Amino acid sequence: MKKIKLENWVSGCIFAIFLTISNTWSAQDEKTAPGFVWKDGAEIYAKICAYCHEAQVGPQIRHRELPAAYIRAVVRTGNRAMPAFRASEIDDESLVKLADFISKKETQH
Amino acid sequence: MTNKYIALPKGVSAENFDAAIRAFRKVLGDASVLTSAEQLAPYIKTMMPVPDADHTPSAALLATTVEQIQKIVAICNQYKVPVWMISTGKNLGYGSAAPAERGQVVLDLKRMNRILEVDKDLAFALVEPGVTYQQLYDYIKEHKLGLWLSMPAPSAIAGPVGNTLDRGVGYTPYGEHFLFACGMEVVLANGEILRTGMGSMPNSNTWQVFKWGYGPYLDGIFTQSNYGIVTKFGFWLMPEPPAFKPFVIQYQHEEDIVEIVETIRPLRISGVIPNAVVIAHALYEAPVKAKRSDYVSGPGSIPDEAVYRIMKDHKLGIWNVYAALYGTQEQIDVNWKIVTQAFGQSGKAKILTEQEAADDPAFAYRAKLMRGDMTLTEFSLYNWRGGGGSMWFAPVSQARGSETLKQMALTKQILAKYGLDYSGEFIVGMRDMHHIVDVLYDKTDPEQTKAAYQCFDELLTEFSARGYGTYRVNTAFMDKVAETYGPVQRNVHKTLKKALDPNGIIAPGKSGIR
Ligand SMILES: Cc1cc2nc3c(=O)[nH]c(=O)nc-3n(C[C@H](O)[C@H](O)[C@H](O)COP(=O)(O)OP(=O)(O)OC[C@H]3O[C@@H](n4cnc5c(N)ncnc54)[C@H](O)[C@@H]3O)c2cc1C
Repeated sequence: MKKIKLENWVSGCIFAIFLTISNTWSAQDEKTAPGFVWKDGAEIYAKICAYCHEAQVGPQIRHRELPAAYIRAVVRTGNRAMPAFRASEIDDESLVKLADFISKKETQH
Repeated sequence: MTNKYIALPKGVSAENFDAAIRAFRKVLGDASVLTSAEQLAPYIKTMMPVPDADHTPSAALLATTVEQIQKIVAICNQYKVPVWMISTGKNLGYGSAAPAERGQVVLDLKRMNRILEVDKDLAFALVEPGVTYQQLYDYIKEHKLGLWLSMPAPSAIAGPVGNTLDRGVGYTPYGEHFLFACGMEVVLANGEILRTGMGSMPNSNTWQVFKWGYGPYLDGIFTQSNYGIVTKFGFWLMPEPPAFKPFVIQYQHEEDIVEIVETIRPLRISGVIPNAVVIAHALYEAPVKAKRSDYVSGPGSIPDEAVYRIMKDHKLGIWNVYAALYGTQEQIDVNWKIVTQAFGQSGKAKILTEQEAADDPAFAYRAKLMRGDMTLTEFSLYNWRGGGGSMWFAPVSQARGSETLKQMALTKQILAKYGLDYSGEFIVGMRDMHHIVDVLYDKTDPEQTKAAYQCFDELLTEFSARGYGTYRVNTAFMDKVAETYGPVQRNVHKTLKKALDPNGIIAPGKSGIR
C-alpha cells in the first residue's frame, strides 16, 4: 500500500515537472537576445539592394540625387519587377537612412 | 466603418473585424498592427495575372514571440478571422507576401528573426521564421563555423523557414531542402505548442539530429499546408568541403536533353555528382547576358533562329548543365575523371570549368548558388519581358531523357500559342526533376496578362491530363492543382483540417485546403 502511494507521488511529481517544462518552453526562449536589426543605410544597401543595383540586374541608383520620398515609395511598393519591401524587413527609420544613403551626392562619400 | 479597412475577411462583419483589430492591438501594440493602405502596400504587390484586389489583405500583424502568436490564434478563433503566414515573405512568382484570399490578415513573422542555435560539430541550425539566408550566412562567417547553406536563387532576401515550408529547392548537395529539415515548433490553432519529432520529449537534446521521433512522423503535414504556424525550425547544414569544383556542360540541340539526362541520372543516383544539378535552357540563362529587344520585336514568342543567335553571341548552349564536385582534391580528381568520361563519349558535350568560364556572368552566379553564396543575379529573368509578370510553372518529371524532352516540347508548344517564351530549366533530384519554367509576361499589358493567365491554366490542364503533377503553385491556381491530385487526397487534407483547425482560421485556401 505504502509503496503504491509513493509511486503515485513520484509519478505525480514527474508529471508536474513535465508540465512546467512544456509550459515554459516558449517563455524560456523569449528571454534570450533580441532579434536582428539594421545598423545603417550602407548595411541595408549592401545586403539587399546591391545584389541587383550593383550587378547590372537593376539600374544604378546611387549618387543620382533621386528624391528620398521617391526611393521610399519604390522600396515599399516595388517598381515593375522589383519586389516590394515591408516595414518588417526594412523598418521606417532604417528606410529613411537607406534613402539618404542612396540619394547622397558622390562627393559626400 | 466600411471604409476604415481596405478589405475585410470573408464572412466577417466590419464590427467584428474592428473588435478583432482592437484585440490584436492590445497584444502587439498599435505599431505592429498594420491596416492603412500605405502600410499594406508591400503586401499587395504580386506577379500573378489576376487583379491585386483578389489578394488584398485586411491587415498585417508583426508578431515577435510565440506567446503573442498563441494570443493571436485565440482572437482569430473568437472572431473567425483567418491569418495567412509569411516568414520572410519573398515567395515571388508563387504569390509573394499576399494572402491566398482577399481579406485574410497577414501574420508576418519577419521580425521573429533570432538564430537560436548553430551547432558546428553536428552541423545543424535552429532558427525563427524571420531569419534570412543572408543573416545566417553572415552569422556563420562571423563565428567561423565552416558550414555551407543551401538556398534558392533569391538567397539573401528569402529564408530557410518559408522556403522549406513551401518545399523549395537549392543547388548544393542539400538542395532538396525538406529532406534536410529536422524538427519544428508549431503553434496549433487551439494555441497549443507542438514540437515535432524528438522535440516533443522534455529535455531531449536530439531534436535537431533525429528526424522521426516516435509514432507517425508529423513534420510533413506542416509543409505546403495550413495546419499550424511554424515558429521554430531546425535543419542540417553542410560542412564546408576542402575543395569545390563547379563546371558547366553545354549542348547545342534541344533533343540532346535525352542524352544529358541519361548521362546524369546514374552519376546523380550513385552520388558521383552530389548536388542538385541544373539543366538550364538558353532562354533561362540569356537574360543575364542579353536583351530580348536586341533579337526580337513585336508580339509572339521568340523564334528558334533568334535563340541560336543569342547562343552564338553569348557563348551559351541550348542546354547548360551546371553541376559541381565537392570533397577532398583526391576525391574530386577521381570523380572528375568519371564525369568527363561519361559526358565525353558522344562528342556532343562542351565541358567548361572555372578555368575557362570564371568570368562568365551566368557561370559565376550558378557557381555561387552551388556553394551557397549570396546572389540575386537570377532576377535578370525579369528584364526579359519587363513589366513584372511572372509565374513559376513547376511540374515534376522522371529523371528519364525521353520524359524531359516530352515535357519541354509540350511546354514550349503551349507557351508559343500564347506568344510567350520557354524560359525553362530542370533541377535534378535523384530520380526526379523539377521542371521549372518562368512564365514571364508584361503585367502592365492587359492583353499579355490575360494571355498569361490562360496559358498557365492550359499548362496545368494539359500536364495533369498526361499524369504530370505540379510540385508547387502560385496562390491563384492552388485549387486547380489540388483538383489534379484527386478527391481522396483532397478529402484526407480536409479531414485533417477539420480536426486541427475547426474554425478554419489558419491560411484557408493554402494548397486548396479549407
Ligand atoms: C528569380 C527567382 C528565382 C527563384 N528561385 C527559386 C529557387 O531556386 N528555389 C525555390 O525554391 N524558389 C525559388 N524562387 C521562389 C521563391 O522566391 C523562394 O522559394 C523563396 O524562398 C520563398 O520565399 P520565402 O523564403 O521568403 O518564404 P515565405 O514567403 O515566407 O513563405 C513561403 C510560404 O510558406 C508558408 N509559410 C511561411 N511561413 C510559414 C510559417 N511560419 N508557418 C507555416 N507556413 C508558413 C506560406 O504558405 C508562405 O506563402 C525564386 C524566385 C525568383 C523571383
